[in-house]
Amino acid sequence: MRRSYFAIIIICLVLWSCQEETTRKKEYLRWVGDIEQNDEIDEAEFKICNGDENILQYFNLSKGAVYKGEKSRIIDLFASDYKPVTGKNESGFIRIRFVVNCEGKPGRYRVLQSDENYQEKEFDEEIISQLLGITKSIEKWEVLDRDGFPVDYYMYLIFKIKDGRILEILP
Amino acid sequence: MAGDMLKYRSCKKAMEIKGHYQFSKAYQAKLDEAIEIDPTYDYPYWAKSIAYLKSGDFVTWKKLIDKAVEYNPEDRLGYRGWCRYQFFRDYKGAIEDIEEFDRLVDYDIGQSQNGMYHLNIAKGLCYSAIGEKDRAIDIIEEQIRLNEEDDFIGAYDYIHLGVLYLETGEFEKALKIFEKQSAYNELAESKYYMALTLRKLAKIAESKIALENARKLYLNGRKMFDFYTHPMDKIYLEDIDSELKSLE
Repeated sequence: MRRSYFAIIIICLVLWSCQEETTRKKEYLRWVGDIEQNDEIDEAEFKICNGDENILQYFNLSKGAVYKGEKSRIIDLFASDYKPVTGKNESGFIRIRFVVNCEGKPGRYRVLQSDENYQEKEFDEEIISQLLGITKSIEKWEVLDRDGFPVDYYMYLIFKIKDGRILEILP
Repeated sequence: MAGDMLKYRSCKKAMEIKGHYQFSKAYQAKLDEAIEIDPTYDYPYWAKSIAYLKSGDFVTWKKLIDKAVEYNPEDRLGYRGWCRYQFFRDYKGAIEDIEEFDRLVDYDIGQSQNGMYHLNIAKGLCYSAIGEKDRAIDIIEEQIRLNEEDDFIGAYDYIHLGVLYLETGEFEKALKIFEKQSAYNELAESKYYMALTLRKLAKIAESKIALENARKLYLNGRKMFDFYTHPMDKIYLEDIDSELKSLE
């Protein structure tokens, strides 16, 4: 009898957790793609100037994707510092997204990876650590303002990878 | 009839996104409700996908836009193809989508989502990017001919064709088309590629003048631009300056 009760409780817990999972899937943050501070991986000293609720997207300012010293500097940086990881058939897309605060300082980096058919996958760690390391080495991004007030904004770099080499960098 | 009724209800629900930002919780949640009402209606998937596209989340974007294409290929294939080019430089994927769309319909496949290009020009750019230059030239030449007939030239159409001529050694043709671009829509890129062409023709003094003009135009903001990413064949100040330096 006690075993039956135990089994029923387990089934209820499983069903409840499935229900929770379904509900959770439909819970959104303020905006699609919002990155919350995670003290385990994010630098504690990185600060958002105007509050998380006011972080914009880079394109909200109608200036396109703006890079300090133009995009050619970013392309040159990765061309010189990234060492291709060939022979492992590593191809697809890698996005590194982060927040740039009102002083142009970046933080809260997140990585998204997929194969060439947009299916999520994990790239060789050597590729990811290099891309992340080089991206983090860019200490200053463009300060963007709205009506004269410097804003915090989301920025990203997408790397199109073919056999461990960078083919293109977007946006 | 029951299906149409469901689509109607789903559509009514989806229209509740009005006034909400594409990225917002309210916008996304309304569209989830619309999908729950009719999971075969393409619009909510498409509308949801936009924020993921713009934030570079290619995984979620692709899942959503694939659903929209599945339920309404005629309205969504050309769009998906364009986005694959514009946001992810997925040239082969873009070609597949645009060509499939072209096979599917018996009317003109029309413009890209941002209105900058006829989809055939975008397709030509994709062929160029994967190295099929002659094919790209054929496609773009033909579309420009049609665009000229309609007096509806894309802002960068001539530049792209000129760059293809330059890359394939058709220098005289390249010069003519860059001049056409300058007359139509003067941009730093037009003068820059004109300078490269002149250099190929050993016209160094003229090349230098074109580069100096390119520099002025660039600094005055007369350059290729896209709100979300960089257009193909766009140049940077560094390109002009290093070319000028190499002529010294």
